[in-house]
Amino acid sequence: MQISRGEKWFYRINYVLLTLAALTCLLPLMNILAVSLSGNRAVMSGEVGIWPVEFNIASYAALASGSPIIPAFKNSLIITVVGVALCMLFTLLAAYPLSRKAFYLRKPITLAIVFTMLFSGGIIPHYLLVDSLGLVNTYWALWLPVLVSPFNMLIMKNYFEHLPEEMEEAARIDGCGEFSFITKIVLPLSLPMMATIALFYGVNLWNSFFQVLIYINDTDKYNLTVLVQQMVRSTSVLLEFTSLQPDEMNEFPPEGVKAAGVMVLLLPMLIVYPFIQKYFVKGVMIGAIKG
Amino acid sequence: MKINPAVNVQTASAVNASRRRWKQNIPWLIMFAPVAVYFILFKYIPIGGLVIAFKNYHFLHGVWGSEWVGFKNFAMLFTDPATVHTIRNTLLISVLSMAVGFPFPIILAILFNEIRMMWFRKSLQTLLYLPHFLSWVIVGGMVITLFSQETGIINSIWEKLTGRTYPFMYQEPSWLAIFLGAGVWKEAGFGAIIYLAALGNIDPHLYEAANLDGANKLRRIWHITLPGIMPVIVLMLILGMGRVMEVGFDQVYMLQNPVVSNIAEVISTYIYRMGLQGAQFSITTAMGMFEAVIGLILVMISNGIARRFNQSLW
Repeated sequence: MQISRGEKWFYRINYVLLTLAALTCLLPLMNILAVSLSGNRAVMSGEVGIWPVEFNIASYAALASGSPIIPAFKNSLIITVVGVALCMLFTLLAAYPLSRKAFYLRKPITLAIVFTMLFSGGIIPHYLLVDSLGLVNTYWALWLPVLVSPFNMLIMKNYFEHLPEEMEEAARIDGCGEFSFITKIVLPLSLPMMATIALFYGVNLWNSFFQVLIYINDTDKYNLTVLVQQMVRSTSVLLEFTSLQPDEMNEFPPEGVKAAGVMVLLLPMLIVYPFIQKYFVKGVMIGAIKG
Repeated sequence: MKINPAVNVQTASAVNASRRRWKQNIPWLIMFAPVAVYFILFKYIPIGGLVIAFKNYHFLHGVWGSEWVGFKNFAMLFTDPATVHTIRNTLLISVLSMAVGFPFPIILAILFNEIRMMWFRKSLQTLLYLPHFLSWVIVGGMVITLFSQETGIINSIWEKLTGRTYPFMYQEPSWLAIFLGAGVWKEAGFGAIIYLAALGNIDPHLYEAANLDGANKLRRIWHITLPGIMPVIVLMLILGMGRVMEVGFDQVYMLQNPVVSNIAEVISTYIYRMGLQGAQFSITTAMGMFEAVIGLILVMISNGIARRFNQSLW
């Protein structure tokens, strides 16, 4: 195709616009990282940009010293890992039968599940239910209400429906049972989709904030999100958590420690995300539309 | 009486087929049973729990034992100036969020689609999807740090330009602008994925034909790209209508402060404060039900309108 002069300008402007957009995503993160690694004086005078000034790791040291951040990190890991396993199991249990054309009541059940996307009882009835089941202050209160996301279930169901049918026929002829058909054929063929959905669930669980706020009462069961939020919100909480004295605050800038807290919360996401991100593009989301 | 053997074979094979189907269904039914229990218990029972919106809930009497009060809770919601103000705030913020936030993913997707260097496009996408995966605690913490009056980088730039600092987070208009901007920043990139998937389905021959006809880039975008993704735009609009009464709790809770509470108190924070902290279960359930019913009605209406143009969701 011939490219006209007007089109050349179109492409140039396009590249500039998108690069600017990408920079707005990158720069704030770099600023937080720089603040967490900068000296107190530089942070307080507001001269830290995207590179650390007077580089040091005092903020991280202050954060780690006697603060509940390490137990909270462990809590977040437990909530996320166990939660993802439960969610994936239940979503599979829902999506697989609903993807079989011969399944009884396939249509009405799918409709009943989609309806819960459009209408729900809301926060208070859910809270009363979790309370009456005696789950308040346990992690079950975080896992059970989000066990099957209808949206993720529909993506999975659609993906299963579009697996080649010859596979199934061949497997049946070989005398393959339902269980081994799922574990040996369906799941290996669905890895990109499963990884994407596991990431969606994992991100939600790692970030869970409101659920922890309303269902968990013991501070030692708090996850990282709630802990960091409280530190960011209030310097007095920060002092309490890090067992620093108010006069020590000159050495350990509260802004720097807060930024370090945000970085700790952010880090696992940055590590896992690039590995799974590549699958998004590969047709996983198309299933969601065609659904 | 003679039985037609052909009919007999037919019924026999029908019986066989239904028996085979039943046999096939057994493992699926076993699989699905726990999910069915789960959906009834955790999705449909809470919908039944909405009855306390019509009761005066007391924890001693429970959901069923509490006395009926009819629509008294709803009457209170719509007459108390404080709750009316909360509803107004919610509508204002969510309609603005949608108006501001809706076009960005579409624009981004179209611009992405015009990038030819694949490595460049992929790295841009990686960066722009990232904010979606950050919790509002991170985004809120970043926004507060960036706009902080004493140490924030935005204010140090502002000070160089104007000679003084500005309390961005403590003025209602600038707070609202930052709130909306943060929402766009977090979700615009990831929102583009769904449109990108739709763009991939457009027949490339259409572009070649238009090019031969002398249509320039902008005309091609206007006449081919946009109509090509219109069904998805409509779909997203319908789904978005269902959330018109909703302002996510995390976003408001992280960004609000006492100074701007006049504009920042919305339904979700009201339910949290009055219901979960203040134990006023009945009136906050009524508020939640109001939000959910309006959302459902709006989805129905917008789907009905879309159906007239043959683009309905169901």
